[in-house]
Formats: sequence, structure tokens, C-alpha cells
Amino acid sequence: MSDILAKALSFGVSGVNGYPVHVEVFATGGLPVMEIIGLPDASVRESKNRVTAAIINSGREVNPYRITVNLAPADIRKEGPSFDLPIALGVMIATDQLHPDPRVDMDHIAFFGELSLDGCIQAINGALPMVISAKENGVSSVILPEKNAKEVSCIEGIRILPVSHLKQVIYWLENLEGITEQLQTSFDTLKTEAVISTDMSQIRGQKGARRAIEVAAAGGHNMLMIGVPGSGKTMLARCIPGILPPMSFEESLETTRIHSICGKLPAGNGLMVTRPFCSPHHNASVASLIGGGQDAKPGEVSLAHNGVLFLDELPEFSRSALEALRQPLEDGIVSVARVRNQARYQSSFMLVAAMNPCPCGYYGSSRRSCRCTPPEIRKYLDRVSGPLLDRIDLQIEVDSVPLNEINDSEPSESSFTVAGRVEKARRAQLERYKGTGRHCNAQLNNEEVRRYCTPDPEAVRLLHMAVDSLHLSMRAYQRILKVSRTIADLEGTDHISSAHVAEAVQYRELDQKYWR
Amino acid sequence: MNNSNGAVYDAWIASASIPPDTVRLLLQQYGDAERCFNAVRSGEDEITGMLTPRFRMILEKNGREDNLKRLENLIQAHDIRVLRFDDPQYPVLLSEISQAPAILFYQGELNCLHRRLLAMVGSRAASYKGQKAARKLAADLSMKGISIVSGLACGIDAASHLGCLDGGSPTVAVTACGLDSVYPKENIRLHDEILLKQGLILSEYSPGEKPSGWHFPIRNRIIAGLSQALILIEAKIRSGSMTSVQHTLEQGKDVFVYPGDPESDYFEGNHQLLREGGIYFTSAEDILEDMHWLDNPSAVRQNIESCPEHTGLPPEQQAVILALKPGAIGFDQLLAGTHLDPPTLMSTLTIMQISGIIESLPGKKYQLKH
Repeated sequence: MSDILAKALSFGVSGVNGYPVHVEVFATGGLPVMEIIGLPDASVRESKNRVTAAIINSGREVNPYRITVNLAPADIRKEGPSFDLPIALGVMIATDQLHPDPRVDMDHIAFFGELSLDGCIQAINGALPMVISAKENGVSSVILPEKNAKEVSCIEGIRILPVSHLKQVIYWLENLEGITEQLQTSFDTLKTEAVISTDMSQIRGQKGARRAIEVAAAGGHNMLMIGVPGSGKTMLARCIPGILPPMSFEESLETTRIHSICGKLPAGNGLMVTRPFCSPHHNASVASLIGGGQDAKPGEVSLAHNGVLFLDELPEFSRSALEALRQPLEDGIVSVARVRNQARYQSSFMLVAAMNPCPCGYYGSSRRSCRCTPPEIRKYLDRVSGPLLDRIDLQIEVDSVPLNEINDSEPSESSFTVAGRVEKARRAQLERYKGTGRHCNAQLNNEEVRRYCTPDPEAVRLLHMAVDSLHLSMRAYQRILKVSRTIADLEGTDHISSAHVAEAVQYRELDQKYWR
Repeated sequence: MNNSNGAVYDAWIASASIPPDTVRLLLQQYGDAERCFNAVRSGEDEITGMLTPRFRMILEKNGREDNLKRLENLIQAHDIRVLRFDDPQYPVLLSEISQAPAILFYQGELNCLHRRLLAMVGSRAASYKGQKAARKLAADLSMKGISIVSGLACGIDAASHLGCLDGGSPTVAVTACGLDSVYPKENIRLHDEILLKQGLILSEYSPGEKPSGWHFPIRNRIIAGLSQALILIEAKIRSGSMTSVQHTLEQGKDVFVYPGDPESDYFEGNHQLLREGGIYFTSAEDILEDMHWLDNPSAVRQNIESCPEHTGLPPEQQAVILALKPGAIGFDQLLAGTHLDPPTLMSTLTIMQISGIIESLPGKKYQLKH
């Protein structure tokens, strides 16, 4: 009985990035046990039972050796069942059950996959970052679960070999046939699969609010909606991903990566081409919003990367959760440090928040009278802190739609039409901010507002009068300038006129009515 | 005028919540509060006859050294002064009511009480409309030199005080707790503003006294008592404002009732009063006329009739005015009424808000300002 050392290459995920893991299997005489070392977590340690059963059910044997499996590098904690497949192959080679064809270059093939007891290969989380890392590490082919194939099919320069059973892998290693290579899908083809979950044409009435979300989408502005219950705030918010410009390949890759490592990607789907819409419940903890847990997993802000984070019932969120949003809102990146891991996740999202005007919900409603006392209303509004309000450019009021307008047969504009205008406005912004690292009006700082958002003298005069007579704050002044830039972009002009400024003033009305 | 040392003993008497008539008798008997104090301490028989054992006990307890020290500190820290019923400054109108307070504590300018005073009262949880109306009316009256008396509460009270300050006249607040604290806390800034603008803050409660529910209706008799008439802005049928109305009527003074929206239950008390004979008014001029305070009646009339003309405005603005004529409506109805597109309507609304033609209300509604 000779001692054999077998090797197979795989990848793990840390943060949003993959790293190579060398699976080494050593079989020697002694008590027949299998031991996995290299900081495995529980799911990796249990792998030996799945591996043994899967090998037997694929028609091979597990001979009584003392088997040591090492996952190198040994100082990084390994998690998840994706190492099942390379361990199984390593064990079979080490115990003389599998003899790969000499043409197979085991150093340049990566294996991922979870085994079930009958040898079937199950989908894994994080396939996208792992394959990207494999490509960067000079791997020529990857063998991975069939259900993950589409997710990675956009990556060029690497051979994707999807498999559904361990037998298939064994046969391929011995004969170099039996697996159909996954065809490349171009990103443009994928884009046609984008779905709009809620179309603007489904909204009746609400013409003012429709215009506001169009402006918000066109400039990437964060937005707050105040309105009575049932006025359609949630529905308006759900329309926003559909009118934002389509995702670029890079954006899609970034977002899909995060969803991939969280296992939030629907099985069998390719890269995400629809912008994400995340609406965490208002009892969400800081960790679930920002990211955290023992392994510093991404939170909702990162899942909403390049998409929309919708916070319904804003004042009901815990103070600490709302305050924690400030860093990602400012930097578009969030760093999460936890016991076992620390990671930085991208989190540049459009914040859309909704709230009632008072605890009972009916302050200012014409249909029902409000039964809150003024201190109660003040206390409720004060739960939204000034610094957070500071980062919200548009504030609008949404009133419920009268019944006769709901039944109005006149169809509203569809998301497709609105998206066209938004995309045009965004293109103008990209052109203007070329080389500055900015790509939409919402990102401008005060200095840049001065440079890019200069209205004509007439409009400046109007703005000063508005600030005076409507008692607007300095921060409102800056926001109005930014938003009027977007309104001018929507109209396709470089020139900010009084009409643009005057419209933008309407989106700061809540400052005077609620937060005074 | 009392010196600060005497004020401590006034505060001491007031802290026992003895009925005002008894306090007046005591003061008349002994001349001032300090002599009363000595009499209580030495246990004179005569004073035992005037006071029930319970009040005597409270007075003795409150007369301890540490308590007097505390009262003195409060009086000095908050610059609280005392107005006794026999002071020549004590307002005649107030002295005529039943249970007129024997001792009043005040901060600010006492000569406010010699102005023309009107009380304005209404709900604390007031509608937006009511608050607007109160502030405007108070400002208009204030511009005619009339000071407003109210209770320094939230809602209509605060709006009335603010309006009075807007119009440039000092305002008088009657509170239901000791003058060392402000209740409700939200009105601290208003409280300071009133004092800053030469106003007056009054209370019959001893410094250190906390506001209790039963203080408020009793306090309302002072608001009514100080004023020549009372204006009710907004009240439900069972409310504190209605006790003020009751006091005013008992004192034989007029009650003006603001004719609020009959559809809204915020104004149900107003409409009941109007049916029972409350005086109807729509503007400050109506009140001035009824009070015979108009120096030149015809001049004011003319002023009202020359409503702002909206001719010469751009067509969009005229369309908005036309659509708003029947009353406040929401943005979407305005769109339907004016046939403008959303961006144009929004900018038109801003311009009209700035030029003061319209104003916006919570719930994304707009209304004409006049």
C-alpha cells in the first residue's frame, strides 16, 4: 500500500472576493478515518459524510485508509459546502479509485459543488466571485454545479463546465468527454430579460408624485415621501428601479457578486440585470441593515447596491439603524468588522423613505381627522434626525387619490417612456462629470454645486426670495440647486432657469411644514 | 410694591391653595403676609378662627425654614414679582369677578394690563386652519394696538400669542403653574419671546407649583377676567375653552366666535355657541367695530373692500386662482382644474407662494391667502 498525495483546486469567498483554496488529500495506512483540517467550519467538517456516501453511490469504493484532507491556506476559515466536490475527487485519486486522463491539468481546473448523498451536485453560494477569482488566478476551466452555470456565463476567457452528478465528473476526468460546455451569454442578451416588477402605468392619479420620482431617478437623488396610509407611497417606490437607467456590465457584476455570496440569487438566473429593490422591515437591526453577523456578511445596504433601498415607516426604524446609514450614504461603501472577519462592501444605493405625517397617520388629511397632539407629532417627526434629512434631496407629500380618479380610464405613462427621459438626463450628467469621478447630480458636494449648478440671475433672485419668504434653511438652498440642475437636465438644457428653480422649491416644502 | 422679602411670605400663603376670599380677609386683617406668618407661627387664636385646621397645618408645614429658603431662591432666580389685590396697579376688571385672585405673581411689564385686552382661546390640539386664523386675527388686532390674553398652551394659545407679537403689541399669558417653570415645555421659546417684547406673564400659583389638571379651568377665570371680551377660535363641545367662555359670560362680557368649517368636528363648540347667540365675526375689523374701538369706521371698511386685484398676472397664475376660489384643494385636483403640466404647475405654485398669493397646507393642499 503506497502513500499517495492528491491535489484539487477550489476557491473560497472572503468578503466579496474569491481566493484560491488548495484541497490536498493524503491517504496512508492506519485506522480508517477521514479528517479535514485547515480551519473548516461545521459545514465543511460534515463534508466527509457526504463525500463518502456520494463516492459509493457513484459506483466507486472508499478503501480503508487513514485520510487527511487539508484546505490550504490553513489560516483562513473555510465555510460552506462548496468544497465537497474537490474533496471527493481528491479522496478518490488518493485512494486509487480515480485515474484522471494524463491530459487533464489538475492545477488549472477549479472545482466547486455541494454533494448530496446520492452523488448529485447542488448549487452553491458565491459562484460568481469564485469564478472571477479563478480567472484572475490563471485557471482555464471550472467545473461547477449546473444551477450556477448561468450566473457565471457572462465571464469571458474561462471554460465553464456545468455538471449535475459526481459520476459525470469522474467520467470526464477519465475520458475528457461527457460534459457540455456552457455557452457564453453576452450581457446585451441578458439585458433583454430585465423585468419591471411594478410599472408606472399602474399608478392612477398622483401626477405630482410621479413627476417627483422621475426627477429623483434622473439625478439619483435620495427621496422622502410623507403621506397618509394608503396613499400609494410603497407603490411609487416600487416603480423607481424600473425607471432608473439600465445597469452597466460592471454595475451588474458588482451587484450580482453581493447577492451571490448571500445566496440571494434565484437558482438558474444569470447576472442581475434588474436593479435591486430592498425593503427591510422597520424592526431591522443595525447588523442586518449594514452587514454583520459572525462572518461579516453584507447587509441590506449592500444588497441594494446600484439599486433602491426603500425604508417604509422611516421613524419606526431604530435610531441606531438610521444613524448607521450615514456612512454608506456618504461614501457608497460600508466597512463591517466582526469577530472572525472584516470586509468592505459596496453600497451605493438610492435611498427612498416613506413615512406618515403623524403617529395616527392622518395629519393634514382631508378625509379623516387626526387625533394626535402636537407634542406627539413633534416627537414622531424628531425621530428622523437632521443629519439623515440632510442627505435627502427631495421631500414630497403624497395625498391619497380620490375614488373617481382611480376609476379614471385615462392611462398613465408607462415606465418605459419615463425611463427614456431619465436615461437621457443621466447621459447628460455623465458627459458633464467625465473625469471627476461623479456620475449623477446627487453626488455633488457643495463646492461642485457652486461650479455646476449656476442658475441664471433671474432664477437666483427667485431662489433668494423663496429662501426668505418660505424660511428655507441653507441646506435646503443647496439641495434646491442640485435638484434644479436635474430638472434642467430632464428638459435637455444646460441652462437653469427660474422655472426649474421654482419647481425644485416645491420638493423642499416639508422643511417649512414639518421640520421647522 | 413688595420687597423680595415680603414676596416670600406672599408665596407662602399662595402655596396653601386657600380660597382667594379667605386670603383677602387674612391680608386685610393683618395688613401683610409677613404679619400673617408671624401670627400662624405664634399660634394666635384669632387666626385659628379664620382658617380651617387643614389649611393651618399646611401653612405651618410650608412655613418651615427650608421651604421659605426654597421659595426665596425661586423668586430671585426667576425675577418673580407680586401683585396684591389692594395694589393700585391691580386691574379693576379683574377685581370685579367672583373669586378674584388675592395674590398674583408676575414676570414682565405690569403696565400691559392698562392696554385694551382681548382674550383668545381655543383647542390645544388645534387644526391647522384654526391656528392660522388665530395667528392672523391676533396680528391684525395687535396692529390696532390691542393686546391678546391667552394661556401659553400649545395650539390656539401659542398661535394667538405669536400673532400678537407679530403685530407688534405686547401679549399677556396667564399660566396654570408656578412662574419658575414653563408648561408645556415646547413653549419655552415663546415664553422668553413674550418677556423680551415687553409682555406679561401672570399666575396665581406660588413658585414651585406644578401644573395640575384642576388648575386650568380655575386659571381660565383670570384670562376672562383680565379681558374686555373673549374670542373663541376653535373648540369642541366639551373642552377647557368652553369653561373660559362660561367664565366670560358669567362676568357679563361678550364672546366672539370664529365661524370655522361647519363640516369639521374641530369647530363643533363654535357652532353650538353661534346658535346660542355668540357674536359672529370674520375679521379683526368686525370685532373692533363691535367693541366701539374704531377710530374711523369708514376708513377701515374701505380697506377691507379693496381686496387685492389679481389682474395683470400671467395666465397660469390666474388659472390657479380660479381653481382655488372654492377652497383649499390638493395638487392633483389643481392639475385637473388648471390643465397645466406638473412641472409648470409646480413652478407656478412656488412663484405664487413667494408673492404671497397662495399658501400651502399639510397634505399637499393649497389655498388662497385671503
